Amino acid sequence: MSFEMWAEKYRPKTLDEMVNQKEIVERLKSFVKAKNVPHCIFAGPPGTGKTTAALCLARDLYGDAYREHIMELNASDERGIDVVRETVKTFARIRSIGEVPFKIMILDEADNMTADAQQALRRTMERYTETCRFILCANYSGKIIEPIQSRCAPFRFTYLPREEHDKYLRHIADNEGVKLLNDGLDAIYEVCGGDLRRAINTLQAAASLGKPVDAKIVYSIAGRANPADVQKMIETAMKGNFLEARKQLREMIQKYGVAGSDIIRQIHTEIFRADIPEPWKIKLADIVGEIDYRLVEGADEEVQLSALLARLVEAAYEIKGLKKV
Amino acid sequence: MYQPWAVKYKPKSLKEVVGNKEAIRKFVEWVKSWDGGIPKKRAAFLYGPPGVGKTVTVEALANDFRMELVEKNASDYRTEEAVKRFAGLASQYSSLFGTKRIILFDELDGLTGTADKGGVKAITDIIKTAQCPIVLIANNAFDPRFANLRNYCLLIEFKKPPATEVLKHLKAICLKEGIDAEENALKFIAQRSEGDIRSAVTDLQALAQGKKRLSYEDVAWLGFRDRQETIFTVLRMILYGKTCEGAKRAVNMADVDIDMLFEWIYENVPAHLTNPHDLARAMDALSMADVYRGRIRTTQDWSFVRYVIDFMTAGVAMARVNTKTSGWTPFRFPERIQALSKSKEERAMQLEIGRKIKRKCHISAQRASKEVLPYLRIIFKNNVEMAAGIAKWLDLTPEMIAYLAENDKKANTIIKLLE
Repeated sequence: MSFEMWAEKYRPKTLDEMVNQKEIVERLKSFVKAKNVPHCIFAGPPGTGKTTAALCLARDLYGDAYREHIMELNASDERGIDVVRETVKTFARIRSIGEVPFKIMILDEADNMTADAQQALRRTMERYTETCRFILCANYSGKIIEPIQSRCAPFRFTYLPREEHDKYLRHIADNEGVKLLNDGLDAIYEVCGGDLRRAINTLQAAASLGKPVDAKIVYSIAGRANPADVQKMIETAMKGNFLEARKQLREMIQKYGVAGSDIIRQIHTEIFRADIPEPWKIKLADIVGEIDYRLVEGADEEVQLSALLARLVEAAYEIKGLKKV
Repeated sequence: MYQPWAVKYKPKSLKEVVGNKEAIRKFVEWVKSWDGGIPKKRAAFLYGPPGVGKTVTVEALANDFRMELVEKNASDYRTEEAVKRFAGLASQYSSLFGTKRIILFDELDGLTGTADKGGVKAITDIIKTAQCPIVLIANNAFDPRFANLRNYCLLIEFKKPPATEVLKHLKAICLKEGIDAEENALKFIAQRSEGDIRSAVTDLQALAQGKKRLSYEDVAWLGFRDRQETIFTVLRMILYGKTCEGAKRAVNMADVDIDMLFEWIYENVPAHLTNPHDLARAMDALSMADVYRGRIRTTQDWSFVRYVIDFMTAGVAMARVNTKTSGWTPFRFPERIQALSKSKEERAMQLEIGRKIKRKCHISAQRASKEVLPYLRIIFKNNVEMAAGIAKWLDLTPEMIAYLAENDKKANTIIKLLE
């Protein structure tokens, strides 16, 4: 077993090594061949290879010294307009020396940039196109302002298909001498939903226990929010005990640091398994989807998720009323 | 019999004094130096904020060394005349009965201009010729009135002891009083006192005397006691408001900030809107208020705050359709506050670790602290070798390792492996 972060160790280094997102990779390879890259938007859910693709593209384009030609900025950490005015501009306007006449600026989590910063970016992109190309990585391209979108070639990243996901994790497990059982793999997929970074982190944390990785271990690892806990919370809410359900939710978030997005994904799964009339499942899915969206925009995960719990209490109350009639 | 705990549990010996070890050491050394003849500075000037143990230190020292303590404080007159009557006492180190003497002028800040006229000058004169140790105490030694006086004094600063020291003291008192107190409750009192031990002990007594148990909930009211009525009125206007305007007006009355008010409402909605439809509507309004808080954060445009207010006040008020207003339900203190303040420190640490991860893993510090850190925690708890490898790879500090391992022993093992 190696003692670094496996998610980094097994990150593909070149476009050839990238197993997924085949069509995207082919197009990127053609950029390398032509030694020309347009401004790009890489949009898609987390852990699907956006940053990896950008780094691989850069390495293929510039060779091993690629670091000298690129800059990685993370919009979640530095998202203000000042960063665009100072850091980005300074980097963008200085011509690169070498075979490829432009540098690449990778703006990660670009959907977290403020609107002002995006406006400022738009002009920078235009003015320095000759010396710098931008790759914007984002979960939702919709949060990137239109003028920028129209200047970029869009690439839509999707979750890995199950076979690719399994193949990759098995490869890592074999390499690290970890025994990964079938139900363990199933559990990882269920918990991480195709987010490869999370899947690898889960695998590594599970492996750190020094036992064969099975479903039980995976569930206990996954933020200790195994489906049973979410199930219990939903049951509590459906029984009408909102306060108790909120308490359970708070515990998950505060004590175990479970991400809100994880909880809502599990709620979504559980709802279709729940013992409620079929038409209600789709009604509830709509509510879950709405709250999922608000989670992204909102400031406080517990507030958003407990609003969802209140809707579950309400739904159960209505279903019970229907049965009586 | 009623006795203030601040007096009852006043340290009798220097060993029991909370914090300020360095200042105490310096003070003791100076007093001892008198045994070898009159030192260069015949007075020690102890200064520092209230309640950190200046007077207590002098009293405990007198007790430990069996010295006679002669004390004057602000309640005595300190005119030139009154002080001069002290001069005789100060002219001898030993008292009639052979015990050594120490003279204390406490609360020097209290020397008022006219009534204690000439007091400072008289004290200075006594010091110049004193044959026994003289101790002065004030909050601010650098008051211009003491400018000349300071030249004759050894200055010793007393600082606020850290909350952990205060906490230890409170725990000891609880033990002696037979009170079973939640750690969080005592921590809250200790932190709130900001190093003023006396006020911490007084607070503890007010909250805990006569009780067997002290919970966080009992204590959380401390900062709000005087504002309790206001916040209740505000909550009533919102949770039982009939009009949007009325509910919105409540915000102007509240003397807490918007986020704090949000917490109060969020805590109390479920108990006051029990009908499931009403509850869902009210929670939905709070959810929308929160969405606007998020929008403020992403845009940094504070004008959106008016929508936050709309939803958290009027939105909640209009949610009441089916729930009857009869009966009386008490308002509860927002439980999350405790967790929020605790997690503030935690979040800072998490972000620091997130920055380390960011350097290696092409992910923002924000996301790393949320998405990668929980896995590290599991690894650090279960596999010291892998933990050490990762700690080295990420270049983590010992504090970070300790935080991730949540156990000092384990952290030490990991740190040893690193060497």
